[in-house]
Amino acid sequence: MRYSTRRAKALARALGALAIVTSSLVALAASGSAAGDRGLTGTWNRYPQLDETPDPKLPPPPPPVGPPPLKAQYLPAWEAQQKAAKEADARGQPLYTDYVKCLPDGMPAMMLAMFPMEVLQTPGQVTIVQEAYNQVRRVYLNEKQIPVEDAEPGYWGHSVGHWQGDTLLIDTVGIKEKVRFRGVPHSDQMRIHERIRLLTPDFFEDRITVEDPVYLTQPWSFAWAYRRLPHYKMLEYVCDSNREYKDPETGGTRLRLENHDPGPQRP
Amino acid sequence: MRQFIGATSGPIRRGRWSVGAALGLLWAGVGFAHHSFAMYDSDHQVKVAGTVKGFDWNNPHVYIELASSEQGETKGYTVECASPGILNRVGWKFNMIKPGDKITVIIAPLKTGEPGGLLKQLTLADGRVFFNGGPAGKPNIQ
Repeated sequence: MRYSTRRAKALARALGALAIVTSSLVALAASGSAAGDRGLTGTWNRYPQLDETPDPKLPPPPPPVGPPPLKAQYLPAWEAQQKAAKEADARGQPLYTDYVKCLPDGMPAMMLAMFPMEVLQTPGQVTIVQEAYNQVRRVYLNEKQIPVEDAEPGYWGHSVGHWQGDTLLIDTVGIKEKVRFRGVPHSDQMRIHERIRLLTPDFFEDRITVEDPVYLTQPWSFAWAYRRLPHYKMLEYVCDSNREYKDPETGGTRLRLENHDPGPQRP
Repeated sequence: MRQFIGATSGPIRRGRWSVGAALGLLWAGVGFAHHSFAMYDSDHQVKVAGTVKGFDWNNPHVYIELASSEQGETKGYTVECASPGILNRVGWKFNMIKPGDKITVIIAPLKTGEPGGLLKQLTLADGRVFFNGGPAGKPNIQ
């Protein structure tokens, strides 16, 4: 008799605890924001778009002026490359780049958001998807960044982040040296800092600062803004029909014409 | 007037903003296309009418193969369009063109003189008109 009472009490306690846990989980799921979403989840477009006159009430972030702060020994090569690109354009054979070759642009260029971008906030992680080239970056929240020498080089690197008030601070290391924004060289010591902040429920900005003790004289900063693209459903992007090829003589980009000039076979 | 963007760096004066915005747009152009459109001569656009031989709806670019009869001779054109994503967003559909369709295009021809160009404007047999999305620019003839 006493035994069964004890059992009944223990069962009641267990059920009570379960109810508390369940109701907490339900409340968490209902609020949505407690663990994950802080207003960034959704689809976004760069603002302003190329053919758009920006709203005077929403001035876009100031663009960087002049060349990147490369050290004196690296600047001439970068300037020569910019000149060569202009000359190639004038000849009608733009330089053949990794991007033309259908390789993703990686970080930080991916945040230029050539195409729509999706941001997903889930507990412990912010995921940023760029429609062009199906690019995905994962930002792990409240984790310690790994040492740069342990970061395996990639296109999007290794990103950790945390919220400081209304700003998401992200630190990224481990970008392949061939993944270059505006053709600017960098070392394996490069570190990308981002400050992402919602400005209104439908606009956010990403203030980016690139640091590289090997190539840069000082941090290189620029910023981009994004506008919510309501109800947009992201499309897939697989580069399976690239007709641009490298002219074997000039090194410039040419268009393979069906039935006219087969050009080299696709790789 | 509230300054939304760039609020952390203090107010941006109006006069400076317009210069900044213009520079920003120039710089923005860097990332808005799969490749430079410098292969094409946008200053000397041409109009071509013909029959569709192929409609290649894929990334990074969509292509229309067009056969046009000029002075009794049939000439093939390769017409480069934007990407499926861009075209979807300006009203195109993956199956709106089929081989055999009669269409008219305005293109910026290849600077090399080869028979191909960048699409500026497309007119279908039923009269519907489509453009090629932002980065490719607009027609300057009709």
